[in-house]
Amino acid sequence: MSTLDKIVFGDNQFFGINHMSEEKAQQLTEQFHDLDSIFAVYKLAFDAGIRAVMLNSNNRAIEICERFRSRAAEFPELTWYPSVPYPHKYSNLVGEKGIVGALNEVLFQKSVMSGLGKLAQGGLALVSMDVIKLMKMLVDTEMQMFDGLNIKVVFLQNVVTDLLLGMETQEIFTEFCAHVRKKYGAMPGLITQNMPYLRRKLIEWDIKGVVICSSINKIGYSMSPDRKTYEETLAENDPDVYPMMAMATLASGAVPAGEAYAYVNGLNLQSVVFGASSKSHIVETVRLIAP
Amino acid sequence: MAGGNLKVGIVGEGRMGITHHSIINSRPDVQVTAIADPSTVVNTLIEKYVKVRTYKNAADMLDREPLQAILVCTPPALNFDILSLASRKGIHAFVEKPFMLSSSDGFEIAKLFDEAGLVNQAGYVIRFNCIFVKVKQYLDEGLVGRVVRIRNEMYSSTIIRPQEESGWRASHASGGGVIYEMSSHAIDLMNFLFGRPAKVIGTCTTQLFSKTVEDIVSSAFLYRTGAIGSLYVNWSDASFRKPASKLEIFGEKGKIVADQHGIKVFLTQDDDRHGFTKGWNNVYITDIAPNVPFYVRGLDFTDQLYHFVDKIQSPADRRTRCSFADAAETMAVIEEVFRDSENVKREFLK
Repeated sequence: MSTLDKIVFGDNQFFGINHMSEEKAQQLTEQFHDLDSIFAVYKLAFDAGIRAVMLNSNNRAIEICERFRSRAAEFPELTWYPSVPYPHKYSNLVGEKGIVGALNEVLFQKSVMSGLGKLAQGGLALVSMDVIKLMKMLVDTEMQMFDGLNIKVVFLQNVVTDLLLGMETQEIFTEFCAHVRKKYGAMPGLITQNMPYLRRKLIEWDIKGVVICSSINKIGYSMSPDRKTYEETLAENDPDVYPMMAMATLASGAVPAGEAYAYVNGLNLQSVVFGASSKSHIVETVRLIAP
Repeated sequence: MAGGNLKVGIVGEGRMGITHHSIINSRPDVQVTAIADPSTVVNTLIEKYVKVRTYKNAADMLDREPLQAILVCTPPALNFDILSLASRKGIHAFVEKPFMLSSSDGFEIAKLFDEAGLVNQAGYVIRFNCIFVKVKQYLDEGLVGRVVRIRNEMYSSTIIRPQEESGWRASHASGGGVIYEMSSHAIDLMNFLFGRPAKVIGTCTTQLFSKTVEDIVSSAFLYRTGAIGSLYVNWSDASFRKPASKLEIFGEKGKIVADQHGIKVFLTQDDDRHGFTKGWNNVYITDIAPNVPFYVRGLDFTDQLYHFVDKIQSPADRRTRCSFADAAETMAVIEEVFRDSENVKREFLK
């Protein structure tokens, strides 16, 4: 049975992410330069009744988690939907050092992992090791910052999900899901830009009980292959097997909120993640999603 | 694995290699059957989890596998030999940019492929970006009249710390430096939109964090039409979290300003054909972004590779939107930029 929070508060607004405008993105970066202004917005979301947070494991997330831990009393009953990894970090590393060099850097050159550093000569350690173990270590490395928080779903970020999906690495998906359940007592989640394709593959591979998070909006933006296929897939989906979460419901601001949620509310969805930074937008969105 | 009928091999399973692998493998009419990569680790991972045969080098793969097409994502210095061999074996090829490090090599390889009737495409992905494709359409339709001035800028925070003197990034021979890596896209965009410049002048390069290659380049391009373009590319600007590009085209009837989020058009009179009015008009990415069958890291990557496969599947018209000849033209301009930069240093900066 789906136990997802109906509304989850996202993080794009804090990290200068805006898909419509460079200026808006830059302005957001400046506005949320300090942690206090970020927490002022979390407080608004909490006051509006939101009890769930989605956060990508980027560099700023470390200090955000730290503060949530130290001020746990201010945010009781909060559940967490972390997504890992932070893709830009890996993308740059892989571009510079290759896949093996990047793995070495991430896994073996952190002080917390210093015991392993000695093994990492020329990538040979990676060959002799179990690759599934490597994947688990990567997830755990990224998950360290969320220690002590109440985790409901651990999502694999969409660049990684979709890369692995295209390459049809069934075993890695199976093992990721098993690891999240066992180690974190959480539901495994996959963020994707190819929801119908992913769901088809998961069924084929007999991987069940996975939360699928994808862009879902009235204009079909960032929905591959197209909106119609999403609608058909959602209509036939059993939410107990694949609870569905919508992101990018406003299509980066291209759809007005009223219209956007009138559309989203009519679909077989279990949860919506949204980001906003003003009280009026937060309150209005909560009202529109849960009328 | 889907029972695809086009067998594809990938040379170089790095960041771009795995991206292309994932995208092209999503096509029902394609099957990635082999990869060639020098890394034992990469090959082990691919064999075990992707279940594809692997080779240490491209020549062995091309000898033993019955491939119809290859995707080459290696450092460009290796490309000449790989592509010569592929053309002799009648294999279609997609090659990551900058394709070749000399335009004469580039034109030679282009000729081999064209004469053999083989599909050839280079990875200047910006030619598949819906924003810039739309800008090209506007220009071809004469939206702003005769183009007078062009400003083309690209920024990123790729290199914001002192760099080592080793690794592929530290050498021009392996395609390192902001000119090969990033400006090549900007220069290719200008070729795509305006054709090849008649002259490149005033080129200045700056080393900020790199010790052996440049981090910033600026230059002026003069076109036969009388248009003048300025190029400014900086990959050491920490204020940009993600790569950003800004293109401004000033013409007799107005101005086009484009970045990765959309297009702003300023016109001195109404334009009924496009539904634009006098003054500022906005075209957002959400208005023009296409749906793609499978998405990894960007719509443009999918459009680019599907275009390659489409051209293989339709023998009537095999000229791609970014052929080897196009990429060789871009390399010729890059050579001009390097040459001019040396001249400027010799004459003014010493």
